[in-house]
Amino acid sequence: MSADSLRIYPSPGAPFPVTDPTKLKSSQRMAIDPSVRATEADLIREAQAGSRTAFDALVRQYDQAVLRLALHLTGSEQDAEDIHQEAFLKAYRYLGNFRFECSFYTWIYRIVTNLCLDLLRRRKSRREDQAVMLDSSGEEIDLLTNVTDQRASANPDRELNRKILAERIREALDKLTPRERMVFELKHYQGLKLRTIGEILNTTEETAKNTLFRATRKLRAILAELR
Amino acid sequence: MKCESAQETIVLAVYGELPDDKAPEFEQHLAGCERCRQEFEAVKALSVAMSLVPSGDPPANLVARSRLRLEEALDAIPRGSWLARNWRQFGQGIGRLRGAPAAVSAVVVASLTLGGVSGYEVSQHSHASPVAQTRYSTVPPEDNAPDNVANVTSIVQEPNSENVEVVYNRLQPVTVSGSLGDPKIRQLLLIGARNRVNSEVKDDSVGLLAHECRAGHECSDGPVRDALLVALRYDKSAAVRLKALEGLQPYVSDDLRVRDTVLESLLKDPDSRVRTQAIGLLEPVGADSSVREVLHTVAARDDNPEIRLASRQVLDQIPQVQ
Repeated sequence: MSADSLRIYPSPGAPFPVTDPTKLKSSQRMAIDPSVRATEADLIREAQAGSRTAFDALVRQYDQAVLRLALHLTGSEQDAEDIHQEAFLKAYRYLGNFRFECSFYTWIYRIVTNLCLDLLRRRKSRREDQAVMLDSSGEEIDLLTNVTDQRASANPDRELNRKILAERIREALDKLTPRERMVFELKHYQGLKLRTIGEILNTTEETAKNTLFRATRKLRAILAELR
Repeated sequence: MKCESAQETIVLAVYGELPDDKAPEFEQHLAGCERCRQEFEAVKALSVAMSLVPSGDPPANLVARSRLRLEEALDAIPRGSWLARNWRQFGQGIGRLRGAPAAVSAVVVASLTLGGVSGYEVSQHSHASPVAQTRYSTVPPEDNAPDNVANVTSIVQEPNSENVEVVYNRLQPVTVSGSLGDPKIRQLLLIGARNRVNSEVKDDSVGLLAHECRAGHECSDGPVRDALLVALRYDKSAAVRLKALEGLQPYVSDDLRVRDTVLESLLKDPDSRVRTQAIGLLEPVGADSSVREVLHTVAARDDNPEIRLASRQVLDQIPQVQ
């Protein structure tokens, strides 16, 4: 029984290579190919020196991943867009503070996760119902459009059940604390290593691990109640 | 391996975080323990179930929209604003002058004062406003000017002599006049609103921008509203925060970001006048449950009795939810 068969791999759009980053030294963590990494460091330095073109190139490397994360965490295209905006504007403003003490990937993700956490916390205190995922015009997005399953479309009942289950899952995720949700999101949906997660959230791998345990335990309890 | 520690190990295994050296022990335990095998299957099932909410790539139009919006915002940030440019060159200049601390501090003082002075001149002129056209003039450079120095970038001593060659950058103060509706003036006011060195310039800029927003002149989005939100959240002067509130008033109904920031001010602002004004701004949007929640909190816990009373009064006026 191989544990490997169950891993959720990052989806193809993920910016980062699937090799285990902990096996590389932190200075090499970002890309396997050292010339790729050197290019990014040059881009960063150029952007720090004022090159807007270099900054734009950096943005292009990460903006899809940022949007994916924000969209999945917030369930709202508008919120994802806002977070994307704020994150990169912050990056632009504070790029001078980046001193290569971590990877740029970590740095950007830190900014995004903080913005997402703020939003999640505000929502918790609003206790607004985020039952459905909305697109920018307010229309409900079918959560299952990305799942291609021809059998499901031939069987409407089953499709309805899946929709309901997907709903329940969103509700279950909403019951986690913002931090638990964030760790679960980064681990389960974005496929990051616990060590990277710890770095991004400015905490230890151990803490990230414990948060993951709490999250999975809570999710199991919530979903079990629904059967 | 015991069953108690196996529970957490199972989660690690399902998520690919099981250290390689623990794998054999774990697999052996699973082979011999029915309960843990079931647990393993349960966590696997959770993982599969959670994946029913797909996390695919964001829709293409969202990506396009976001990129466009970001580009517009970046374009609106004036490039090479003197402070940004000079701070960076400053950083490099400092490196070279490391052995001459006195020179460094002189340059610091010079560029800060100059920045303050030129910024102030701009705001003076934009006050005097009702000129329809925008005029630009530059101060003629003085050749012997030790005063107009932005920074020094190189010092080379001629060998065996007392001669020194210095390369420096000069600051060119520019004076502009124009009406508040002129986009160039507006852009300058936005920069002025961020001036951390000269608070008079900052206050005047925020005040003018707020005035424009209040009058409904082209504040529909973006940088001006953002500048007011920043001033409301972070400015140290209560008078400035009050002005920012005034400017944001027309947007409390439509713009949730504005509403949220005003709610934050009501909860956290140290100045009672700001909190009082915030209540006034929130009156028309009492239907929002978050607004009511905050008003309840303030009515119970604010230090100031008048504010508690004002919150209660607003709450009483809101038609009851069915």
